[in-house]
Amino acid sequence: MTAPSAPDTDTPVLQVRDIVKTYGGVTALDGVSFDLYPGEVHCLAGENGCGKSTLIKIISGAERPDAGEIVIDDVAHRAMNATAAITSGIQVIYQDFSLFGNLTVAENIALTSAVAERRRLYSPSAARKTARRIVDELRLNLDLDADVSALPVADRQLTAICRAVVHEARVIIMDEPTTALTHSEVDRLFALVEALRARGVGLVFVSHKLDEVLRVAQRVTILRSGRQVVTGPASDFTRQSISESMTGREISEERLVSELSADASVVLDVKGLGRPGAFEAVSFSVREGEILGVTGLLGSGRTEIAEALFGVRPAVSGTVKVDGKPVRLRSIQDAIAAGIGYVPEDRLTQGLFMDRAIGDNIIAGSLDQYRTRWGTLDNGKTRKTIRALFDRLRINAPRVAAPVRSLSGGNAQRVVLAKWLAIRPRILILNGPTVGVDVGSKEDILEILREEAAEGRSIIVISDDVPELVAACHRVLVVRQGRISHTLENDDINVDIILERMAA
Amino acid sequence: MTGLRQLNDDLGTRTSELIERLHVSRGTGRMLVLLVVAFVFFAALRPNVFLSTLNLQNLALSAPEIGVLAIAMMLAMLTGGIDLSLVNIANLSAITMSTLYTTIHGSNPALAEQLVPVLVLAGLGVGLLGGAINAVLVAYVGITPILATLGTMQIYNGLAVVWTGGRTLYGSPATLTNLGQATVAGIPILFLVFILTAVLVALLINRTPIGLKIQLEGSNPMAAMYSGIRSRSVLTSTYLVTGLLGGLAGVLFIARNPSASADYGASYVLLVIVIAVLGGTNPTGGFATVLGVVLATLTLQIVASGFTALRLSAYQYAIAQGVILILVMIADQVTWRRRRQRRPRPAALAPHS
Amino acid sequence: MNDSSPQRFSIPNLRGPNNEGILALILLGLIIVMSLLNPVFFSVSTLFAIVRSSIVPLIFALGVLLVIISGGIDVSFAAIAIFAGYTTVAAFGSGAFGTGLVGAVLLALAIGAALGLINGVVIARFRLPTLIVTLGTQGIFKGALLTFVGSRFIADLPQAIAGLSTTNLMSVATASGRAYLHVMVIPAVLLCCAMAWMLHRTMFGRAIYAIGDDAEAARRAGFRVVRTQILLYVLVGMTAALGGLIYIIMGRSASPQNLVGTELDIIAAVVLGGASIFGGRGSVLGTILGVLLVQVIGNSLILAGVPSAWQRAAVGALLVIGVGVQAVSAKRRRRRQPSADGPDLTREAMTV
Repeated sequence: MTAPSAPDTDTPVLQVRDIVKTYGGVTALDGVSFDLYPGEVHCLAGENGCGKSTLIKIISGAERPDAGEIVIDDVAHRAMNATAAITSGIQVIYQDFSLFGNLTVAENIALTSAVAERRRLYSPSAARKTARRIVDELRLNLDLDADVSALPVADRQLTAICRAVVHEARVIIMDEPTTALTHSEVDRLFALVEALRARGVGLVFVSHKLDEVLRVAQRVTILRSGRQVVTGPASDFTRQSISESMTGREISEERLVSELSADASVVLDVKGLGRPGAFEAVSFSVREGEILGVTGLLGSGRTEIAEALFGVRPAVSGTVKVDGKPVRLRSIQDAIAAGIGYVPEDRLTQGLFMDRAIGDNIIAGSLDQYRTRWGTLDNGKTRKTIRALFDRLRINAPRVAAPVRSLSGGNAQRVVLAKWLAIRPRILILNGPTVGVDVGSKEDILEILREEAAEGRSIIVISDDVPELVAACHRVLVVRQGRISHTLENDDINVDIILERMAA
Repeated sequence: MTGLRQLNDDLGTRTSELIERLHVSRGTGRMLVLLVVAFVFFAALRPNVFLSTLNLQNLALSAPEIGVLAIAMMLAMLTGGIDLSLVNIANLSAITMSTLYTTIHGSNPALAEQLVPVLVLAGLGVGLLGGAINAVLVAYVGITPILATLGTMQIYNGLAVVWTGGRTLYGSPATLTNLGQATVAGIPILFLVFILTAVLVALLINRTPIGLKIQLEGSNPMAAMYSGIRSRSVLTSTYLVTGLLGGLAGVLFIARNPSASADYGASYVLLVIVIAVLGGTNPTGGFATVLGVVLATLTLQIVASGFTALRLSAYQYAIAQGVILILVMIADQVTWRRRRQRRPRPAALAPHS
Repeated sequence: MNDSSPQRFSIPNLRGPNNEGILALILLGLIIVMSLLNPVFFSVSTLFAIVRSSIVPLIFALGVLLVIISGGIDVSFAAIAIFAGYTTVAAFGSGAFGTGLVGAVLLALAIGAALGLINGVVIARFRLPTLIVTLGTQGIFKGALLTFVGSRFIADLPQAIAGLSTTNLMSVATASGRAYLHVMVIPAVLLCCAMAWMLHRTMFGRAIYAIGDDAEAARRAGFRVVRTQILLYVLVGMTAALGGLIYIIMGRSASPQNLVGTELDIIAAVVLGGASIFGGRGSVLGTILGVLLVQVIGNSLILAGVPSAWQRAAVGALLVIGVGVQAVSAKRRRRRQPSADGPDLTREAMTV
């Protein structure tokens, strides 16, 4: 850890005191305090729903707190608005970067400060000069005239950071900055972070990626259920202690896997699967009743492999056999017809119909199964199916007709799971099944997966939650740069070995 | 013991589902209130004109063609799209029927009368064809519905103008015209056709797999795709049915007035969109929405008829339409926003919070 | 690390950000074909005729362009146009105002601004879908015009304006007589330049592009979205009003029944000109080309002896082909370059 450099580190550049925020009857933040020194990286960690999003919104002026104050340069503010925040030097980089895809890199970089200065006219050449200056100062390699929509994600993030810095930002808040980056891109980002720290910029990292948190932060604050649990120097924490503070319980990293019978048939057989630019020469097999884990750093190709198996973005080469029969997976319909199901990573946009009833969501994938002789829906059958899955997955909701929007993360994920169980696929692929899910639901979901495996279903779990893989999987595949680099089984399945193989 | 509990749960679910359906939901409740208010308002102002049998029958006669079009528009909106070509499809359908009749009539008047069912089928067929072209553009080529139907609207209109030479065609089987005026227990047959159509469409949306797929596609096209719902077939079915309904509207056009022209009902496009929106069209639709659209149709016809009774002009009716639409939308937005602020956004649902 | 001129002169750049280059080529090709088929086509009189018939649509199209870039659709501009134009003429005719041309223009602009303000406030303040709101206001404006202002056909325009109807910028002697270039081409050209400047050189213009791409991001970036949108619709109203007045001047008569019904042709021209219906993209040059294209096709059909009834169908077909090609190429581009935001979802939910 490099020591903070010259700028005055005695007075915090930003202080947030006793912030309270409630929505309706729910308390999102309950008297949270937080401060940031110049040139420091302070990480704000916590599970989903802990309130870190809300805190950021309040600091950046997107929301007003019910109580508490925001202190910048010894001036206390009751609340902020977007313009005041930007003028005070606070910039937030959201996960979607909030860039304008239809404008060029230079325009995006220069635009916000032009807005903040309330300029009337706009000069493309001046914008370019500004952009060029900052890009050179930060020693980045960006094409100023490229349309942002054509850029890869990592470059978009760099553009967003440049935009923040151009307006003399003193506080840059980054929301889950490393989620969409590959390993080398993360390195590049952290190098940039060091450059920013040297300029005296204070950074707030909002993250739940424990390893990265520890790598780059000087201090860590952990929130849980709207309360501040602990704040301290990063050196005081370990992965274990952080995750315990985040969840409030001891995480057991023990395995609980069933015995696979020796003659369990091979259900899924993948050979030489490849798609240029994404993955190549992928071969593996999954047996009946087996839970296979797939992991790797982001950008390694693990999601792409799953999407190829589900027909979302088909592979170009290789063969896939289900129960010994070769199948062509050119589309999602092909995959479902072949008996493959997929619980996607982003359940909000890809998995659920938010404003529809739980019941509708559950039968959404299996509608043709309930057709009567006259082409209508057999209400009796649908009701039975919905009820059965509702109970089996212990979905916590007042009624089957309640809209999914009203559910918590864990329950919503159960609904997605229920939808797929209604289809009874031979192979169920799950991508990040317990992301954004409370601890109790996490365990329940793993338990459900074990039950399904016991009934003969084959399960593939893609995840970067390594303890979860250790707890539930028979074997674990490690994907690196588009290839399967390791196949781990038995005693090799423990957190340290997996992490090592991923990073090596 | 489990059996009893199961029964209890079942009963509980069924009752709550029933209540949900009858529940004063967004479109239906408000529409019912507006309907009653409008009716009472105009009845009070000009009881002798407004409440006369003639007026009421006129109402029941003019509502069906608009109502069918509104239901079609609602269907397109359910999938997150729109169909601007509906009225022109209806006109083409009426023009086809009239031309066919006149041609056959020229050589064999008796046959022309006998072939009424065939003529009607031809009209519906034209509707289906128009819908099919829309379906191809939207589902296969991938043009966004508003632009696709904007284009086909012009094309169909242009074709109709060329075909008719800009004139109005007179020529329609007497059987059809008689049917158009006939009543059953005082209710015009055309009105019954409208109600029947509404019921069938409601059944389609709520009680068939394709109907639920349509609703889901409108609710979240991406999730629909990931659930294995073929957006192509859903959209194709949708626009085929809207085309068919457009054709039906054409049959109603010609049954009510034995004439067909290329520019009939030009003002209907706006009206029908107003009705669909008023009727509470939204992705959580189904029965409630169709009922809402039916009520909205009646309400606006009441307002139109009331305006006539009050000797107000068609232009003032246009103003009223626009004002009602905007006021209702503002009211919707205000209540929706207030509801959103009260219920906390379940932050836990977001995968990254 | 070159800091020099940002314009790299290469083939891809000639295409233009919204495929204006391709559009220009199509237009050129069409003109060449028509000229070969019918030499009469390639003459000054045809040129002037096309320019003349493009003036009013172009002015309207510029207003529509602004709305479409901002991510909306406006179908009330024709109603605003005729309302402002007719009312101005009627007011002058009654002798109430006697301040000449300038007064007429100011009155029309004021009316247009007021009507546009209504649109802007309802849409921006309540965040309502633009298509439906403007459908409603279209009905209200036209209805109000016919109810409160009048419905008679005005055949003789007021002194101040009538003179302009027959003023020409220049005339050229041709084999078949004289060809005239109407003076109203000047305001059209000036408006084009003003719009282009506004879109690219002012923060207001940049704000419109930003809002069209992502209104929420614009809000977060500190743009005053509501204010910008309201101002936008006021501007569009004024543009429409100007177009309406010029329409009346060039038509030498005023009837409140005119103009409403032609909205979709204008929207078609703007979309053909490369503006994306989803917002965030579009240019003045593209709009000019789109309007010219529609006019040239209309003119070609007349010269080819095609009855004007086919013109409607032709514009519709043109629109379908134009957007169809755009849709197919967008699909193909997305398949080649799968972005991080998910697979090929080729149909986007409509933003009504």
